[in-house]
Amino acid sequence: MFVHIRDLQYRYSNSDHLTINKFNLTINKGEITTILGESGSGKSTLLRLIAGLEMPSKGNIMVGDDCMCSQSKFVQPERRGIGMVFQDYALFPHMTVSENIKFGLVKWSRKDKKARLQEVLELVNLEGYEKRYPYELSGGQQQRVALARALAPKPKLLLFDEPFSNLDADLQIKIREELRKILKTTGVTSIFVTHDQEDAQALADRIVILRGGEVSQNGTPEEIFGTDCDISDRIAVKPRVLSRT
Amino acid sequence: MNWIRNIKSNMNSWAILSIVFIILILLPNLSIIFQFFSEPNENWAHIREYMLNTYIKNSLILVVAVGVLSAIVGSSLAWIISAYQFPLRNFFQWGLILPLAIPPYIGAYTYHGIINYTGVIQTTLRNQFGVTVDQQYFDIMNMPGTIFIFVIFLFPYVFTITKAFLARQSTSLIENARLLGSNPWKIYFKIVLPLARTSIVAGVSLVILEVLNDYGVVKYYGIQTFTTAIFQTWFGLGDLASAIKLSGTLMLIILGLLIAERVLRGRKRFSFTTTKVKLLKPVQLKGVSKWVAFSYATTVFAVAFIIPFIQLIYWATLTYEQFFSEDLLSVIGNTIMVALIAATLITIMAIVISNFSRLHRGLTAKLFPKVTILGYSIPGAVIAVGIVTLFIGIDKFMYQNTLVSSYVLSTSIFMLVFAYVVRYLAVAYNSIESGFERIGTSFTEASRILGQNITKSFFKVDLKLIRGAIFGGFILAFIDILKELPLTLILRPFNFETLATNAFQYASNEMIHEAAVPSILIIIISAIAIYFFHHVLERE
Amino acid sequence: MKIKYFLLTSIILSVIFLAACGDDSTSDGDSNESSEEEINLYTSRHYDIDDELYKEFTDETGIKVNVIKGDEDELIERMKREGEQTADLFYTSDAGRLFRAKDAGLLQSIDNDTINENIPENLRDKDNKWFGLTKRARVIVYHKDRVDPSEVKTYEDLTESKWEDKVLIRSSENIYNQSLLASFIELKGREEAKAWAEGVVNNMARDPQGGDRDQAKGVVAGEGDLAVMNTYYLGGMLNSADEEEVKVAEQLGVIFPNQETTGTHVNVSGIAVTKHAKNKENAVKLIEFLSSKDVQKQFASANYEYPVNPNVEPAETLKQWGDFKEQDINLSILGENNAEAVKIFNEVNWK
Repeated sequence: MFVHIRDLQYRYSNSDHLTINKFNLTINKGEITTILGESGSGKSTLLRLIAGLEMPSKGNIMVGDDCMCSQSKFVQPERRGIGMVFQDYALFPHMTVSENIKFGLVKWSRKDKKARLQEVLELVNLEGYEKRYPYELSGGQQQRVALARALAPKPKLLLFDEPFSNLDADLQIKIREELRKILKTTGVTSIFVTHDQEDAQALADRIVILRGGEVSQNGTPEEIFGTDCDISDRIAVKPRVLSRT
Repeated sequence: MNWIRNIKSNMNSWAILSIVFIILILLPNLSIIFQFFSEPNENWAHIREYMLNTYIKNSLILVVAVGVLSAIVGSSLAWIISAYQFPLRNFFQWGLILPLAIPPYIGAYTYHGIINYTGVIQTTLRNQFGVTVDQQYFDIMNMPGTIFIFVIFLFPYVFTITKAFLARQSTSLIENARLLGSNPWKIYFKIVLPLARTSIVAGVSLVILEVLNDYGVVKYYGIQTFTTAIFQTWFGLGDLASAIKLSGTLMLIILGLLIAERVLRGRKRFSFTTTKVKLLKPVQLKGVSKWVAFSYATTVFAVAFIIPFIQLIYWATLTYEQFFSEDLLSVIGNTIMVALIAATLITIMAIVISNFSRLHRGLTAKLFPKVTILGYSIPGAVIAVGIVTLFIGIDKFMYQNTLVSSYVLSTSIFMLVFAYVVRYLAVAYNSIESGFERIGTSFTEASRILGQNITKSFFKVDLKLIRGAIFGGFILAFIDILKELPLTLILRPFNFETLATNAFQYASNEMIHEAAVPSILIIIISAIAIYFFHHVLERE
Repeated sequence: MKIKYFLLTSIILSVIFLAACGDDSTSDGDSNESSEEEINLYTSRHYDIDDELYKEFTDETGIKVNVIKGDEDELIERMKREGEQTADLFYTSDAGRLFRAKDAGLLQSIDNDTINENIPENLRDKDNKWFGLTKRARVIVYHKDRVDPSEVKTYEDLTESKWEDKVLIRSSENIYNQSLLASFIELKGREEAKAWAEGVVNNMARDPQGGDRDQAKGVVAGEGDLAVMNTYYLGGMLNSADEEEVKVAEQLGVIFPNQETTGTHVNVSGIAVTKHAKNKENAVKLIEFLSSKDVQKQFASANYEYPVNPNVEPAETLKQWGDFKEQDINLSILGENNAEAVKIFNEVNWK
C-alpha cells in the first residue's frame, strides 16, 4: 500500500456543500490510477488536496511511510515530494525549457542537474529543445516539458490534472500511449484526473469514479467497463462491478 | 487540534509580516474610526442641517461623474494603445501617464489662470482683437469645471493599470475576437471592458478616493463637498471631534463599498495561466481610423499635460530668478529622497500583503488587506491628526520612561515617512494586486510543488512575472508622494521643505506665478520617473 | 534576481537612513535643552519675507530659527498633543487662531518693555499672551469707471438693493470672511450680523469662487461692480510680475468702509510664546526683532501689510489709499465668535 487516503473531507470556504466527502483510496506502488468524474465532481480538488495545495477539513493522507496530512499535521506542498502536471502546464514563461526542468532540482549539484536534465529530456523525447522558451513550443511539446519538469526531481507520486484537455484529438491518443510507456519505464506511482473515459481506460491500471465528491466505483478498467466492448459503447454500458471500498 | 494545525500551517513569514504591517496601518486610523461611534456634540445638529445634505450631494455628483468619465477616458486610451499602432503610439504609452505629475490643485489654478480675465485667452482677445467676452462662458470654477480638472489629471490611474492588464493578458481573446471579425467598438465593449473590469475598478477607485480627499481644487473652485464639511467643522467651528467623526463616517462608507465590491466579485477570477503569455501585437491602423486614434490621444494629452505645462513654464519665466539658490537644490534633494524611501517601503509592504492575501483561502485574508485603503480614503489633514497622536504618544511614553532625552520619532522624518506609507499604500497595493490577479496562482503552485517555499517561489517566479505591476505601483506611489501636501506640511521635521510645500506656499497666497517653478520641478522629476518606468517595461 | 537585490538594498538603506535620522534629531533635541542657540517656531504664514527675516535674525543674534510651516489649526492640534515638548513660538495670520491657542492653554504671558513699546495695546492680547505683528484691512474695491465711491460708505451698503447682482466676495470657508462676520457679531449682535450676511448673499453677482484676487478680476471683467478683499492682495496685484494683473488692479479704487461708524475690519498676523517654551529668552528676542522699526518696514514693503509699530509708515502702495479708522474691538473676539460666524454663513447659505 503506497498511497493511503482515509476519510478525506473538504469544503470550500463560503460554501455549505462538501466538495469531497468521505473519500477513501489505496494505491499500490507503481500503479497508475485514474480518477474519472464529470466537471464539478471534485476530482481536481482531490488532486490539490493530495498535493497539499488545499487543506482538508478531515481525513488522513499517507504517501509511502510519510503522513502528509492528518488532524494534527499538515505538510506544505514544497515538502511533500509529490510531482504534478497542471492542466494548463503552468510552465514558467520567463524561463527556458532547461531552466523550467531544473527548477525543481533544488539541492542537486550542477553536474547532477545537467545529467538529470538530459535524462528526462531523452525520456520525453525533447533533446535539443533546452534553450527554447515555452511560448515557442507547440501544445504537445509544452505538455512534455511539463511532464519532464514534474519527473525531474524523482517524485514519490506524480499527479496529472486533465493532462490532455488542451490537446487536439490525434495528438491526445499518441501522447497518451507515450505517457503510459514513460510512466511504466520510470515506475513512478501516478494519479490522473480526467473526465474522459477513453483516457481513463487507455492509461489506468485502476479507475476510480467520483460523483459529487464521493467514490461511486473503484476497480480495474476491465472490471468497470468490461473487456470486449469498444470505447464508444462503453459510455452507455452500465458498469458491472461496484465499488470495493 | 484541527485549528492549531490550520494556524500553524498558515503562519509563514508572509502572514506574520502582513499582520504586523496591517496593524501598523490600522493604528492611526483606529482613533478616527472609533470617533464615528462617539456621542455627537452640540454642533452636530447644525452640521447635519446645513452642511451634510448639499455637500454630500455635491460629493456624489463629483464621484459618479469623475469615476465614469475617467473610466471611459482611461480604459479607451489603454485599449487603443495596447491594440493598435498609430503615429506617436510609443510616446503615448508613457506620455499619457504624465498628467499624473501635475498636482490637481496646481492644475486647477493653472486652468483658471488660462481662462480667467487676465489669462492668455481673454488677454489676447482683448488686446489683439478688442473683444471682451462674456465671463459666463469663460468660467471654469463650477461643477463641470471641477469634474473636468479631476478627470484630466486623474484618468492616468485607470489608464496605467488597465494598460498593464491588457498588454499581457488578453492576447488570445482579443486575437480571437479579431479573427471572428468583430469591429473595434464591439471588442471594446464586449471583451475589453468586462475582461479588464478588475483593473478598471482598481484604477477608478484610486481616482474616486483622490476626489473624495481633495481639498485644494474644491476649495479654490468653490464646490462644497463632504471634505468641505470636515474642514468647515474643524477650522471654522473649531470642533475637531466632529470633524473626525465626519471623517470616520467617510472612512466606513468607503470601506463598506470596497468590501461589497470584493464580496460581489467573489471567487470569480479573471486570470489566465496559459503558457502563451505573449504581448498583444498592435495592429497597424490605416486611413481615417489612424488619424482618429491619433487625434484622440493627442487631444487628451494636450489638454491634460501640454497646455497646463506651457502655461506654467510661461509663469516661471516671470519669476524664476528668485529661485536659484542652494536652498533649491536641498529642497529637490529632500523631495526625491523622502519620496524614494517611502515609495520603496510602500512597495515592499504592498507586495507582502497582497501576496499573503492571494495565497490564503478564506474571506478574512481577502478582506483584511482592504484596510490598506483606509489612509487613502479621507483627507490627509485628518490622517495627520491620527499619526501625530500615535507618534507623540510613543514619544511621550519613551520620554517619561527616560528612554530618550527628548521626542525622537515625532521630530524626525520617520513620522513623515510613516504617514506617506499609511496614505499611499493603497496606490501601490492596487497596482500590485492587479498584477498578481493577472498571473493567478498556478505558477506559484507549480513552483511550490517543485520544492520551493512561498518566499523562494515569490523571488524566482512571481516577482519576475509581475515586475511591471510592481514598478508601476512604485512609480505611482513615488509621484503621489512628490506632490503630497497636507501630510508633508504638518508632519515634517523642522526646516524640512519639499517642492510641494514650496509650491503650496505661493499658491496659498494666490501667487500662482511664483508657484510655477516648484510645480514644474515636480512635473519634471515625475516625468523622468515615468519615462524610466516605461523604459524598464519596454525592455521586458 | 536583480530586483531581489534592489529590494534588499533598498530595505537596508532605508533602515540605515531612518536610524540615522533618528540619531540626528536626538542630537537636535539635546542641543535644544543645553544650548541657547536656537528657537523652534510653528508658523502658518507662508511668505518669502518671513524666511528672509529669520535669516537676518540669525545673522544678527546667532540664534538659529527652526521652522515648521503648516495650517494653523493643525499646528494647534500638534502642540496640544506634544505637551511639554513643543515649539517655542506660534506664529499665525489670524487673531482668531491665536485666541484658540490661548484658550487651549498653549500660550504664556510675556511682559517685555521693548515689545510693549513696539506694539500698541489694542494689537496685543489683553493678557500679553500674543502680539500682533502686521495688520491687514478687509476693504471694498470698486471699478473706477462704473462706481461713484460716495455711494458705498459701509459694509452695510453692500446689502442695499441697488447692488443686487453686483457684489463679489469669496466663499465663507475663508477665514477673512469668518473674521469679518465675527466682528459684526460683536459690534451689532447676532441678528443684525445674520441680516447683513443674508443681504450680501442676495446681492452676490455669482456663487463664491476663487481667492481674493479673483474677486478683483471679476469686477474688472464686469461680473460685478464691488468686491471685498484684503488690502495686501491688491498691493500684490499692483506689483505683480504679470502686467495684466497690474492693469486690473489699476482700474480699481479702494474704499475703507465704516469710517464714520464702526471702522474698517482689521485682522492681524500675530506671534505667541508657548507655555512650555524651552528657549523662552530667545523667543522673546525674535518678537522684539520682528516688531522693531527696521523689520516692520521690511514687512510693510515686501508684503503690503500694515505695520503694527506706530513709528513705521506703510508701504508707498498702501499710503496712496490713505489712513483709515479701524474697528475698535478686542481682536480675541474674532476667535470667540468664529464658530458662530460659520453657523450664520451656513444658515444663510453663503457658500
